[in-house]
Amino acid sequence: MSDFMSMLLTPEFFFSILRISAPIIFATLAAIVVEKAGFCNIGIEGLMMFSALGGSLVSYYAGSWFWGILAALVVGVLMSLIMGFFAFQMKTDIVLVGIAINMMGSGGTLFLCKVITNITEGRAMASTTGLITKDLCIPDITIPLVNKIPFIGQVLSGHNLLTYLAFLLCLLTSIMLYKTSLGLNIRAVGENPNAASSVGVSVLKIKYLAIGYSGLMSGFGGAFMSMAYAQGWSLDMVAGRGFIALAAQAMGNGECLGGMLSSLVFGFAQALGIKFSAIGLDSNLASPIPYAVTIIGLVIFAVSRNRKELKKRSSAALEKRASSQA
Amino acid sequence: MTKRRKIGFTLIRGFLAILIALLVAALLIFISAEGDGIGEKLEAAGEALKQLLIGPLFRMGKNGVSFELKRLADVFAAMIPTIFTGLSVCVMFSANQFNLGSEGGSMLGAFAAGMIAVYVPMAAGVHAVVAVLVAGLAVAVVMLIPALLKAKMGVSEMVNSLMLNYIIMYIIKYLMSTHLADKSKGQIQSFPFMETAKIGPIVDNSVFNGAKLTWGFVVALIAVVIVAVFMYRTRWGYSIRMIGINQSFSMYSGMKVGAVVVLSQILGGFLAGVGGGIEMLGRYPTFSWSALPGYGWTGITIAILAGNNPIYVPLAAFFMAYLSKGCDLMATYAGVPAQLIDIIQGVIFLFFAAEQFMARYRQKLVVKTAQEELQQKDGQSLEEGGAVNV
Amino acid sequence: MPDEKDAFAGEYVVQMKGITKVYPNGVAANQDVNFNLRKGEIHALMGENGAGKSTLMKMLFGLEQPTSGEIIVKGEKLHISSPAVAIEHEIGMVHQHFMLVPSLSVAENMVLGMVPKKSGIFIDKAKAIEITRDYSEKYNLHVEPEAKVADIPVGMKQKVEILKALVRGASILILDEPTAVLTTQETAELFRELKNLKEQGYTIVFISHKLNEIMEITDRLTILRGGRSMGVYNTKDVTKEQISRLMVGRDVILELQKDKARPGDTVLRVRSLEYINSWNKKMLDQVSFDVRKGEILGIAGVEGNGQKELVDILFNFQRPSSGSVQVNGENILGKSQQKLREMGVALVPEDRMIYGIASTASIEENLISDRCGQKRLNKGPVFNMSAIHSESDKLIEEFTVLCKSRKQQVGMLSGGNIQKVVVAREFSNNPALIIADQPTRGIDVGATEFIRKKLLELSRSGIAVLLISADLNEVMELSDSLIVMHNGHIAAYFEDTADLTDAEMGEYMLELKHQSPEEIGRVCHD
Repeated sequence: MSDFMSMLLTPEFFFSILRISAPIIFATLAAIVVEKAGFCNIGIEGLMMFSALGGSLVSYYAGSWFWGILAALVVGVLMSLIMGFFAFQMKTDIVLVGIAINMMGSGGTLFLCKVITNITEGRAMASTTGLITKDLCIPDITIPLVNKIPFIGQVLSGHNLLTYLAFLLCLLTSIMLYKTSLGLNIRAVGENPNAASSVGVSVLKIKYLAIGYSGLMSGFGGAFMSMAYAQGWSLDMVAGRGFIALAAQAMGNGECLGGMLSSLVFGFAQALGIKFSAIGLDSNLASPIPYAVTIIGLVIFAVSRNRKELKKRSSAALEKRASSQA
Repeated sequence: MTKRRKIGFTLIRGFLAILIALLVAALLIFISAEGDGIGEKLEAAGEALKQLLIGPLFRMGKNGVSFELKRLADVFAAMIPTIFTGLSVCVMFSANQFNLGSEGGSMLGAFAAGMIAVYVPMAAGVHAVVAVLVAGLAVAVVMLIPALLKAKMGVSEMVNSLMLNYIIMYIIKYLMSTHLADKSKGQIQSFPFMETAKIGPIVDNSVFNGAKLTWGFVVALIAVVIVAVFMYRTRWGYSIRMIGINQSFSMYSGMKVGAVVVLSQILGGFLAGVGGGIEMLGRYPTFSWSALPGYGWTGITIAILAGNNPIYVPLAAFFMAYLSKGCDLMATYAGVPAQLIDIIQGVIFLFFAAEQFMARYRQKLVVKTAQEELQQKDGQSLEEGGAVNV
Repeated sequence: MPDEKDAFAGEYVVQMKGITKVYPNGVAANQDVNFNLRKGEIHALMGENGAGKSTLMKMLFGLEQPTSGEIIVKGEKLHISSPAVAIEHEIGMVHQHFMLVPSLSVAENMVLGMVPKKSGIFIDKAKAIEITRDYSEKYNLHVEPEAKVADIPVGMKQKVEILKALVRGASILILDEPTAVLTTQETAELFRELKNLKEQGYTIVFISHKLNEIMEITDRLTILRGGRSMGVYNTKDVTKEQISRLMVGRDVILELQKDKARPGDTVLRVRSLEYINSWNKKMLDQVSFDVRKGEILGIAGVEGNGQKELVDILFNFQRPSSGSVQVNGENILGKSQQKLREMGVALVPEDRMIYGIASTASIEENLISDRCGQKRLNKGPVFNMSAIHSESDKLIEEFTVLCKSRKQQVGMLSGGNIQKVVVAREFSNNPALIIADQPTRGIDVGATEFIRKKLLELSRSGIAVLLISADLNEVMELSDSLIVMHNGHIAAYFEDTADLTDAEMGEYMLELKHQSPEEIGRVCHD
């Protein structure tokens, strides 16, 4: 046991938590912004799949990861706007739109991959892993000075560009939500759309912006998956991160900081799973750990939320004497 | 709107949604068709489209087009698991429970039935029935997790059921690669099912030129009737539907909302499990799935197409099976990847579920009907004091 | 005296011509309505609930689009596709339900959609507060810029709403039933403010169905009835009686023939009920009363004085902080709605669309929701469809629900018929106690009369009725005895409503007069 603990307390382990959390953080930010605008985007999973494919393909054809990221973002935003069109203008239930996008994001991306690259692996499968070489991936960045600090340097330095961006975007998204007029509008639309529209704020426009932002974040997440986390796109590679993000959003109480911390918890769970399989646990038992943690996390969140509400009520009852005097 | 106008509208709308999806498909097929120049491409795309549209029923050979019973039987056989997942989703979505666990549910059901078929000897006839029931119960029990968490604590059943899909898949994969594997085989699979557990064909396979249509198909159709009766002719089904329409109303009316929420998901799980079990025992000699089968997602599409009404599930399942078979044939004969089905499915899904799709046309019909009614009313009731109300 | 339309066309700031609006569910809310506004007038738009007043104004403000007809603002024909367009043309609206974001501050609500910025992106909070202060002082509408909207009183919320319209440059103000939520003092204050605005050249549309207010403050009035215009009048040229006849097509007062109640045993017994809501506001304060067999106890009071909380607690949508409630001697606090219904408690809910019906289900399905488990409607595990059909046909006939068949979607019916469906269900399952919460709100005269008669009939047959109504007329007509709620407590109890005057009621409702605890205590018949 203590052996295992010492295996965990290595800089590599903490490094891997940050790395694994990055795509979940992107997805969580995608979930948070739409939630603030008053709806739930369950299509993040599918959006990330499309972005991952688009990013890796463009990276290959353009021969540059930069264009790859850009393409992933464009794909993410475009697809999210299509979602918006169906949800807001065609009045399709947003949950159903999300399901449709996820369906297409699974088999549909495989179809596109096959059609575009003409690559098939066996009869059924295809991937772009053969196309993406190391230099087509998004680069890692060594932070000068920090990397010299023992332990901490090894944990914090040398991450992928997008990993740093993920954490930075938590801050930026928070600023966007609370310090800018766009954020004010998004929150107003989410809380009382009639109030927003009655002062001439276009609810439709704000919703499009919110889901577009969600697509942008999904784009980053997808790019990270196919050009940093793995080399190239493969079927169902997002593996539920878009769904886990919905849980992270809820557990983080819809706030960026909380969402980031929840994402780190899931990252930790997955890193732990990987460690377990490294010491001999069957990978099929290690892989479901983050999913199980998601369920447990949601339950703990719900219990504590319900408790808080109860407490609030009973404290209100206790204070009634005082307030009745006033 | 008058009833006739309503039905007409629904038909036209559904037809258009499908047409749009097929147009998108045709475009994608054209893009992916092999050939130099537009002419060749068009020709190849035309071939592929033909396979997609009429291939599931007809063989296209040198000497023209001929109906083929085998392909029809294949389409029917493909409907079996998706009728069950479609029913499963109907029940859960009717209660407004977005439980997406039919996917993992059908895999778990297939696995559970398979294990009974391998390890628990029983008399022929009983064996398959027990195996399938165990499959259903196993999934029903697992669905208690999202159901109870939703009813008791208000945790989203959607995320939980999705997570369960992954957990179910990995645990089955684990068991199949360790304790339950038939290690004498090169690929991952279980020991063979006992003959007693297999679900036999309705008629000899030779009738369908080797295509196998099992009794599972009949069971699926019976299940449709039972679920339809349950949903529209019993107090529990009624409660499920009312809760789906308006939960506050149901609570206020004295229904046990929590219990019904749980019931709908257990029942949904049971149906998905039974579907998986029947599929496994009817079609396979051993359990060898290593990934989620996709029946759950198709089931969602079917439920949407059927408007959550069990009676229309077979029709929708037939449609999806037909398209899927068409895509398979297209892949075989025209080299268009079969996953096109996922895109077609997604597009149909989106338009079908779109309330506003052709809403302007509907609004016109509504206005027309309202004006006709008003004209009638004006004749009768203006002198009554005009208590027209809004 | 309908005034001549076209002779004055030039001086109109707003003309709405031949406006027709049919909603997607087929309801025709407005039919060929003409409406115009002169600059600098206060113009009343009158009509009963559901006459189409709000719909007409929503079209002027761009929240709805007319099915046909045209809108001309300051001589320019406009397609007002959204509130943004309306605001651009100096039209502002203060809605009946406040259009405020509760978690934002007053200042943030004020500048929503026109946020002052610093360095191009960030919200300039100081500037927002300054703007709010300036306008607040300029128009003498006092608000607290930094307070959260969730924490301020109703009167102030309304001022925020008016300021919101003004800060956006509105010169035409639409006020949708602005006094519905206000106390008399607040109403008087609002009227002063409106007159002040009128003097400064603002044009005001005042939607209301309260005659006294209209007579006091408006210059002209347009009356709508059943979605059609009944004409435009100068306020000083018409009498209240004339207006009321135009509004409802008959004399309003429905003289109910009422026998004297012969109250029996206590059915509902409420003692020392207290409820403190999640913002720590005490919504119910030591509420005690009894309702006996065969009597109608009315609860009057301006809305928001605890009536809603009381009903929620009685029907277990909410748990009280303390107190006890019994029905026929048995505690009901915390009992499920199913149990409550088994004990014979029926509720006509205030919001019929939320609690009363499942709108996309059929009439029949809505009629059996509380009794679907009863033996007589089931044959073993399945429904006895013929029993259900005959039950619903019987109820449809008995309660004169106007519909094509029992299969019709209930949401497609008119408000009055929807309410009849609700009432048919609630009145027919052998109730011991009927809680009728605003039973005739927003429905037509015919249905109103029907429901009131039914309530009376049931009470005389020995059922206990608790009637909560903001409609003074209704609660005074119908009740045998009456309590007045104010600020969460019972402010007065009247054993007999027969010789009670409106004026007297009003004084208690606004707490200008008090009763002693002993007088109030008489409502408990221990």
